[in-house]
Amino acid sequence: MDELDILKKSWNQPNAEHEKLSVKDIYPMLQKKSSSIVKMLFYISIAELIFWSLINTLPYFYSDEFRQKLEAIYTNEYILTALTVLSYSIILLFIYLLYKSYKSISVTDNAKRLMESIIKTRKIIKYYVLYNLIMAGISIIIGLYYSLHNDPNVSVQFSDFNTKQLVISFAVIGFFTIVFIASIWLFYRLIYGLLLKRLNKNYKELKKLEL
Amino acid sequence: MNKELEHSFVELLEKHQNIVHKVCRLYTNNYDAHNDLFQEITIQLWKAYPKFRGDSKFSTWMYRVGLNTAITLYRKSKRRISTQDFEGVAFKMKAEDYDDTEEQQLKVLYKAVHQLNDIEKALIFLYLEDKDYREISETLGISEVNARVKMNRIKTKLKTILNP
Repeated sequence: MDELDILKKSWNQPNAEHEKLSVKDIYPMLQKKSSSIVKMLFYISIAELIFWSLINTLPYFYSDEFRQKLEAIYTNEYILTALTVLSYSIILLFIYLLYKSYKSISVTDNAKRLMESIIKTRKIIKYYVLYNLIMAGISIIIGLYYSLHNDPNVSVQFSDFNTKQLVISFAVIGFFTIVFIASIWLFYRLIYGLLLKRLNKNYKELKKLEL
Repeated sequence: MNKELEHSFVELLEKHQNIVHKVCRLYTNNYDAHNDLFQEITIQLWKAYPKFRGDSKFSTWMYRVGLNTAITLYRKSKRRISTQDFEGVAFKMKAEDYDDTEEQQLKVLYKAVHQLNDIEKALIFLYLEDKDYREISETLGISEVNARVKMNRIKTKLKTILNP
């Protein structure tokens, strides 16, 4: 007899260890919160939207110095307005894409399609983080350029440097910028890596079947 | 969600709960993990229930949601589950069916099945549920031919695990 036939024989018998649940046992279960990866992904994406929006807007509202510097960099106020509108439009676009993507996740799809919709959602969050990291990198470069040219304190200090000192200063600033951006990137890889490890493994397994 | 909907769902789940228990039996190997997964599948079923249309059987619909939760949505992080746990909570049959040899045989079989990966377990589950290859392929999103080939490979793999 086939091994699976032996299993099949007892398959439909209830397991003695888990007593049959009554209607009364099931009701409270409906009130409990889900701890699925989609739920976690949802919380993380909301946290990220809030976090990056705060990072982008708080200094502008809370620091006069920052606002003045920003206004000094963008002497043309239209450029500043255009950039602000653009950055908020991008955030809104991401919110829309995320919402659409979450809506498309359906537990009643087939396993492969369900995994693909979750992976797609995770990718949108990834692009959002990437977008913010690139913007952070650009802001640091613009800020540095501005300080060198317009900030008397910084430019005086830098003008005293010889070539070697200048190269070292730029190397140090560049190094820390890269370390900063890379560590945020690694942090996200770790969070999503842990969260979606099992999903990725199973998705690969399903894809392998089609080769 | 209105009370009527809740009531009809709970009654249906109570009637078909064995399907969920069977999914948990394959994907978990201790008492707490079984309950955890059962809870998560119940939530997913309940969330999806308003969209459930009577055109498919409730049980068929449950296979899909149950397996999807076990393979994709469920996070094991709350309690670490290792294969070592299995010995302590071997599958027990009901007292009236008690047969020592048969129980031993089942114990070994379940232990072997627990060594398979999540996708292989899903195929085994649908096979044990007497689903044809068309339904297996539709549930997992793979072709019928591939489902058939994979099933044969799993049978061979099980044989190898059982007779090394």
